[in-house]
Amino acid sequence: MPGDARLRPPCEVACPIHTDAQRYIQLVAEGRYADALAVVRETNPMPQTIGRICAHPCEEACRRGGVDEPIAICNLKRVASDGAKPAGIGYPPPDNDVTAGRKVAIIGSGPSGLAAAHDLALMGVQSVIFEKQPQAGGFLRTGILNYRLPKNILDEDVDFIRGMGVEIRTGVAIGEEIKFDDLAAEYDAVLIAVGLSESRSLPIPGVELPQVLLAVPFLEDVNAGREIPELGQDIIVIGGGNVAIDVARSAKRISGGKVTMVCLEADHEMPAHDWEIADARAEGIEMICSQGPNAIIGEGRVEGLQVKKCESVFDDNGRFAPSFCETELSIITGDTVIITIGQMSNLSFLPEAGPAVNERGILIFDREQCTTSRRGIFASGEVVTGPGAAVNALASGKRAAVAVGKYLGIDVNFGHEPVAIAEVPADVIGKIKSAPRRKMPARDSGERLQDFEEVELGLDEVDGRCEAGRCLLCGSGARYSELKCIACLTCVRVCPYGAPWADKDGLGGIDPVKCQACGICFTQCPAKAIDMVMLTEEEIAASIKAALGGGGELELGCWYSQSRVAPDAALVALPCTSRLSTNLLLGALESGAARLHVAVCSEDDDGHFVHGHRQTRAAVAEAKQALREIGIDPELIVLEVVPARKCMGNSEK
Amino acid sequence: MITAERKPFEQIKAVTDQFENILVVGCNTCVAVCLTGGEKEAEQLASQLRLQRQKDGIGGSVETLTVLRQCENEYVDAIAAQVEGKDLILSTACSIGPQLCADRYPKVRVAPAMNTNMLGMVKQHHVWTEYCAACGDCGIFNTGGICPIARCAKTLLNGPCGGSQGGRCEISPDVPCVWQQIYDKLASFGIEGNLSRIGGPKNWAKSNSGGPRTMKKEGFEP
Repeated sequence: MPGDARLRPPCEVACPIHTDAQRYIQLVAEGRYADALAVVRETNPMPQTIGRICAHPCEEACRRGGVDEPIAICNLKRVASDGAKPAGIGYPPPDNDVTAGRKVAIIGSGPSGLAAAHDLALMGVQSVIFEKQPQAGGFLRTGILNYRLPKNILDEDVDFIRGMGVEIRTGVAIGEEIKFDDLAAEYDAVLIAVGLSESRSLPIPGVELPQVLLAVPFLEDVNAGREIPELGQDIIVIGGGNVAIDVARSAKRISGGKVTMVCLEADHEMPAHDWEIADARAEGIEMICSQGPNAIIGEGRVEGLQVKKCESVFDDNGRFAPSFCETELSIITGDTVIITIGQMSNLSFLPEAGPAVNERGILIFDREQCTTSRRGIFASGEVVTGPGAAVNALASGKRAAVAVGKYLGIDVNFGHEPVAIAEVPADVIGKIKSAPRRKMPARDSGERLQDFEEVELGLDEVDGRCEAGRCLLCGSGARYSELKCIACLTCVRVCPYGAPWADKDGLGGIDPVKCQACGICFTQCPAKAIDMVMLTEEEIAASIKAALGGGGELELGCWYSQSRVAPDAALVALPCTSRLSTNLLLGALESGAARLHVAVCSEDDDGHFVHGHRQTRAAVAEAKQALREIGIDPELIVLEVVPARKCMGNSEK
Repeated sequence: MITAERKPFEQIKAVTDQFENILVVGCNTCVAVCLTGGEKEAEQLASQLRLQRQKDGIGGSVETLTVLRQCENEYVDAIAAQVEGKDLILSTACSIGPQLCADRYPKVRVAPAMNTNMLGMVKQHHVWTEYCAACGDCGIFNTGGICPIARCAKTLLNGPCGGSQGGRCEISPDVPCVWQQIYDKLASFGIEGNLSRIGGPKNWAKSNSGGPRTMKKEGFEP
């Protein structure tokens, strides 16, 4: 039956680390940034970094996408961490103790290694990360440019993990300064998280020319601020992935010249994310699609790239198998070529004793247990998963941490995969208030090409809270108790979305797929058979008691309103004040409230919830009548229309 | 369904002020469905009483609970522990509830918080209308499926009367004349002529005119 409260929001399910986006988004809507960041931190060891560069599969899955546009979940993660920082309370180090004894060596300080170290630290296991580069961060530092991920942001995430007792030894290459076997002997377990640190090249004539560069060393040089004398003014970037985009945008900034990307894929097939492609195009980078490199031409120096038409990239089974028209050749002129066609790992540090690699030089690996062929040696991240998003590397590292923890005898388990709630049904979509997605403000493309400073500026407070207010609270709405239901049909009759249903026998339920979590059925159910998954009646009553502390005035406010109706009163904020039953209002007075200020939308303007304000008005009217009957001044409950409502689509700056 | 409305608070207070420890007992059947005496409403009344007694300086306690049906011995007996120590049971059920409570808890005073008013049906959400008078001798087959006893102001069996004007009853323009409705309904089947036949006498002994009624389902006694 469609009443399963275990169904989770699809954003959370799609997230490789299953971050509870719904919960932190609601805290952002309330302006509670430190609390929001704490929720992000529950699963995400690098919230600031991921809040800037995440490939955000959550947004592809977001059910709001079926209504208008998905929630800008990634941008809201940044709002949480940016908003928490000024108060200085965003980064409390967790209360973990890593002095218990066992030690794990982690090779590589990229997102996977850092995530594993972070989660092991939470288990009380100390890790030592060995990083061959002079600074920690792996490809996040060497491969992603400052204009997307400022170095100080990455530093703060890394320093937080250091603060948990993780030691990071930089400038130490395993296999050179320290032999792998020595490491394996000294530590209780070893995690190989070396990523894909080397560029693939192309077997075509001309690659030996000095102006032919490889992506990884190029990006390392750019990130280290080193001069690249080979770089000319007319640059050809071979490749159509996200790294190619970064290479092209960096080359554009350094050279100030012309940058052209050439890729095998057709325009619509390019592997880079759409938004990355759009950013690159906005910066004047040209893209030539469906062309394969045939030869780099030039005598002693690069003069251009000969390409051949690519007819298809994948075979019928979806495997990479490009086919070319060998006779349809053309030349793209240029003075520099940067090859960005993929990366591979360098496993030369592995000894003969293993762990073993397969015939293609890839580490033999158990995906479930994160183990290699050698006992006590684990692996995670792109070295075993192949290229992907940083958040996937975090997920892999976190799984490896559990695997290592289990190996060390710690009582931990791999989590269960959550199940997503289905998309919003067509008959409900029209009943949901449409609200435009807040656009990320960015520096002007002409200005941003002058330097490597951050391009995206972050949503401001008003836009951030408005954007958070668009969240549909998937799966957090009404649930009913079959035992308490008296089949009275009240919920069926009052729900604006048609979520409750009943058959001729009175058997029914509340379809969580249709429910929009307004709470109207919950406040009206005469048998108290309905409660809410998020914010139960008991929780609301408890927060009212806690906020009052025995007396004083109380504002019963709205998450989405960005202004207070009674700034001097204690505050309990709700998704909608439609969740206040008459009993909760009277209960607040019983708890000692001197006066209740109940926020409500104006009568002609629904807020997030259709008809929510009508329910609020009805409950307040009933509670006032109840007070009149007993000779208490009904003005102890004051309905306050939220002035110039600033929620969702209606922000007024 | 039996419908009932809560008494004016003044009337309830006149009783409850005399008692110290009160148990408000809701009923989660008919009065819950008609949104006046179920768990939610019982809690609301208890909350009102606590606020009023606090204001008026009356000590003691007001607690509340709700049973599934206050017209069943088993459900009413199941609250014995909560009744213990109470001076008054205030019932938000139809009149059957407080009567059964009085019967099962003979040492505790019992008061109704409700006025039981009719056997009604839901005309629309929040609106109920009387459809049955429980006369014990249902004859609506002959009246087009419409009960003139419950729905005619004069309980006429041979209407309409002279007060039927333009399809409305003389008591209020909001009230339709049920005999007009009966005539129209029979006419829709082409059998309005049946109304000119003389029917037999109605057996009023089966109504409450014959004293309190009991009903027994024969054959399966425990």
